[in-house]
Amino acid sequence: MQNCGPEPTAVLANGLVRTYRRGAEEIQALKGIDLDIKRGEFVGVVGHSGAGKTTLLNLIGLMDRPTDGKLEVLCTDVARRGVRLDALRRMNIGFVFQEFYLMPTLTAIENVLLPTMWGRSGNDERGTMNNERYRAEELLKLVGLGHRMTHRPSELSGGEMQRVAVARALINSPRLLLADEPTGNLDTATRDGIFNLLQALNRDSELTVVVATHDLSLESRFTRVIRLEDGNVI
Amino acid sequence: MTWFKLAFKNLIRRMTRSILTVAGVAIAIAVLYSLFQFQQGYQSQLKGELGALGAQMMVVPKGCPYEAATIALHGGKWPRYMDEGLLDKVKANPGVAEAAGVIMDAVFAPGNKNVILLGVDEDYMKLRPAWRINGHWLDSDFTVIMGSTAAQDAGVRTGDYWVVPEKNVRLHVVGVLNRTNTQDDGFVFMPRRTLQKISGLEGKLVLILVKAKQVEKTDALVSSLKASEVDMNVFPLSELLGTISSLMASTKVFVSAIILIAVILGGVGVLNTVLMAVFERTREIGMMKAMGGSRGDVFKLVWAETILTTVIGGVTGVLVALVSSRLVEAFIRGMIPYAPKGSLIGFSLLTLAMCVGLSLVLGLVAGFYPAFRAASVKPVEAIKAE
Repeated sequence: MQNCGPEPTAVLANGLVRTYRRGAEEIQALKGIDLDIKRGEFVGVVGHSGAGKTTLLNLIGLMDRPTDGKLEVLCTDVARRGVRLDALRRMNIGFVFQEFYLMPTLTAIENVLLPTMWGRSGNDERGTMNNERYRAEELLKLVGLGHRMTHRPSELSGGEMQRVAVARALINSPRLLLADEPTGNLDTATRDGIFNLLQALNRDSELTVVVATHDLSLESRFTRVIRLEDGNVI
Repeated sequence: MTWFKLAFKNLIRRMTRSILTVAGVAIAIAVLYSLFQFQQGYQSQLKGELGALGAQMMVVPKGCPYEAATIALHGGKWPRYMDEGLLDKVKANPGVAEAAGVIMDAVFAPGNKNVILLGVDEDYMKLRPAWRINGHWLDSDFTVIMGSTAAQDAGVRTGDYWVVPEKNVRLHVVGVLNRTNTQDDGFVFMPRRTLQKISGLEGKLVLILVKAKQVEKTDALVSSLKASEVDMNVFPLSELLGTISSLMASTKVFVSAIILIAVILGGVGVLNTVLMAVFERTREIGMMKAMGGSRGDVFKLVWAETILTTVIGGVTGVLVALVSSRLVEAFIRGMIPYAPKGSLIGFSLLTLAMCVGLSLVLGLVAGFYPAFRAASVKPVEAIKAE
């Protein structure tokens, strides 16, 4: 991934379109969106259900390719030939979902370590694995779960599970953190805790954070809000 | 965390299903391992038993030679006899080094124990150079030498007297054989004339064991003996070994085909289980990809889980086969008409490696399609999926 200057853009989109086919029906989830998210911003993508928030996050998160338009993520044109989206995603992007998707048989620290396995040859040195473990422990302490490292998901509360998911998203030191309705399954107090955590990560490590939410009461927490309605930025 | 650990933890998430899948593979591999080991053990034990006869060929009365061979090896009553005069004719053949005429009978001792009686003479001793007698050779008509197990069962030692069950004849135990680990351990040896008399078989023989002067000319000797007398069957023991072995080999091919089908069905079962698990874990796989997992990573994980399942099944199967070998052996002994004494199912590293290797191949084949399906999951669609 290239360095794109002193005031780099994290995400740049021009005329971004994403169309799906459902049988004979064609559904335009995004209808030509323009975006410019600077590095270090804490951006909220806000809108009602079906507005296109998840579609936009999937495109930014390199899990999907646009039907039309231009999209650059961390200075890489995603439509360019030969670009390996999975490798880009692994090295640069962290994901947090509404559902935590923790592996039930793994402990909190093992769940955090999971993304370090992808792309690994299996011959990695023990030193590398020790470093990863140390980093996972530090991240769990950072999200306030230093005392729950060896607990399994079934032994954690909803808020704790989401904190593990945040730590997991950060294990590969991403430059962009995407969160799709991260507090959708949490009560108000826990929701605030998770948002405080995301804010702190953004503030302290200059991590670019993009959060999709339908909860309009959270708008004030973001440095910038992108409103989506029916596939358009309003 | 290692790939192995992750794959293993994924397996134990569906404990019951994983155990049943492993059990399916284990049963197929256990049967396969037992069959191969039985084939090897049977041949080796049969060779040992025939070798212990100390002869290259047998002369038996007309009738089924294999039935006669079974009697010769394990002892018993056989309602066919040869005239004792044939022994002199056999001995007269210039190609014969030693020939020992044997008469046999079987009686029941108290407790319904079968006692095999062999009437022999000094020529028989010449075919048994490895015998060590605790005592001395038969020196009168009313003496007896007992195999180590037979003496133990009868509760007698050298110097004691023993009454032949059913015959009420008292014999002096002049020797007990040191353990030979052959069929001889269970036999009671007495002078041929004595057994012929007490069994009412004067002038009769059940078999003649023949040792050739030149082993390489055994076939010529067989032909020569056959030509000299029409009232007897002459057959080399190598032929007996060959016939029984080829019979066993034919059975093995048939049984192997059935087991192979069982292994393939086990593989289909594994494929089905893993494929179901892949469908159930679609969202989880999507999440793995969202975290940067490539097609190769997901393929590797699902393949590893399948291989782990079948290899655990394979190792378990071999262990089950080893632990239950006595039971399987007893079952097989009850099913086949003739089985040598001694352990028929042994331990072979090569067979073990082959069975575990087969389970590995099974995993590689059965896991390929589910792994491919898992690798093809699109993260966006997977995460949306309910």
